Amino acid sequence: MWHWIQELDQILRGEKTSLPALREGRLEIPAIGLSAVIVILGLLYGVCMGTYAIFRDGGPCYDQTLASTVKVPALFVLTLIVTFPSLYVFNALVGSRLTILPVLRLLIASLAVNLAVLSSLGPIVAFFSVNTTSYPFMVLLNVAVFALSGVLGLTFLLQTLHRLSIAQGRQPPLPLPPGPADTGSNDAEPNAAVVAVAVEEPGALDRATEHVLGKHVKAVFGCWVVVFGLVGAQMGWVLRPFIGDPNLGFQWFRPRGSNFFESVWQSMLSLIS
Amino acid sequence: MTGFLLRTDDVLRRRPWTTQSVGATSALLRLAANLVVFGMVYGAVLGSFGGISGERFRQVVYAALKVPLLLLATFLIGLPSFFVLNTLLGLRRDFGQAVRALVATQAGLAIVLASLAPVTAFWYASSADYAAAVRFNVLTFSVASLAAQALLRGYYRPLIERTGKHRAMLWTWLFIYAFVGIQMGWILRPFVGDPHAPVQFLREGAWGNAYVVVAELICRAFAR
Repeated sequence: MWHWIQELDQILRGEKTSLPALREGRLEIPAIGLSAVIVILGLLYGVCMGTYAIFRDGGPCYDQTLASTVKVPALFVLTLIVTFPSLYVFNALVGSRLTILPVLRLLIASLAVNLAVLSSLGPIVAFFSVNTTSYPFMVLLNVAVFALSGVLGLTFLLQTLHRLSIAQGRQPPLPLPPGPADTGSNDAEPNAAVVAVAVEEPGALDRATEHVLGKHVKAVFGCWVVVFGLVGAQMGWVLRPFIGDPNLGFQWFRPRGSNFFESVWQSMLSLIS
Repeated sequence: MTGFLLRTDDVLRRRPWTTQSVGATSALLRLAANLVVFGMVYGAVLGSFGGISGERFRQVVYAALKVPLLLLATFLIGLPSFFVLNTLLGLRRDFGQAVRALVATQAGLAIVLASLAPVTAFWYASSADYAAAVRFNVLTFSVASLAAQALLRGYYRPLIERTGKHRAMLWTWLFIYAFVGIQMGWILRPFVGDPHAPVQFLREGAWGNAYVVVAELICRAFAR
């Protein structure tokens, strides 16, 4: 277990996805171990989210806490299972050279980043859950936390996809700029780009500066975001309630109807009215 | 005692020992001691509005406990996300220095608050208006926060010189800290202690959300 957490740490630090590590065009990530870490991190955030049901008005509802705990990892794992075939097919259609295993590993690594951020925000959510009685506030806070971690997970996905395509030799390097033109460093030495890499540890979210984003990288990423985002949002909607409206009794699933985006809008309206 | 106060002066002047990795543990303990001692000094003065004799003395003790609690709990709740975001941005190597800067700033905040304690005591002596006392303390906390922010900027300057990404992390931290800190302050009420209300550690029925209350106040103001 500890070994897998260290793997996650290396992914977060960007060591697993740095250009030299990807030079072979392979992503060396233990897919199964990392999936276990994803589930555990999901459970942790689920507990934080379900804390609201313990301290809400009208007495604790431990069933809801249990439901939240189970549903958060389920949301991510089910979304991945449902979308993986279509994600892979789009990737192949657009002409990427990634085969099925690297695509799976890449997606799992992105989910791991997503969940690491999500669960690190868990203490804040738990703190607000304990002392907040307003249900719309908790919905909005959770949506904001999910959105932030989702954006960071996707940024990781985009940059890793980009580096993978560079490593596979699909991206022609940009013509070298005259002199040290690396905007990210204040170093005045002649070999500034190299020095900057050595001094400034490259992060997992940094763009490989000497390359432009390839057309097919953008296309694959665009398709993935749309498919994964839509299915993910709707999956969240189907698995609801995550937080548990204190005015409604406990149920494992609510009746089907409406959709995710309408609900966020309603929450905003009810918070300000 | 003199040694302790000299070390306190060092925090305000950003002496190297406060954020050096060599002897970090003893520095951390010293900074934590500063945070607790000076937080309690300000807290004791903060809670003395209703007097210090008899029953009201408990309010003094409670407030003295709650000020360090407010600072420490806010810091600890925000730390995990700060750690993961730093790692993700590739700043893990500097994380130790960043956290030591944050701890030193926390100590600095408590010191600034304690330095304002005589002013607060003077205000309490000159005005018996409870609402005004609360407003005055909002002002002192704001002043101390601004001073601490200036201190943190100083500590962060070498980090930002190394890479501009630290600036983004600095703003992220300030956002997290303010977001959690405001709510923490709200639920730990009463600090000042209404002289006409019984003395309590936590106010009954105060368990609520500061942001929802503010949103409701704004809506009510517009609805009028």
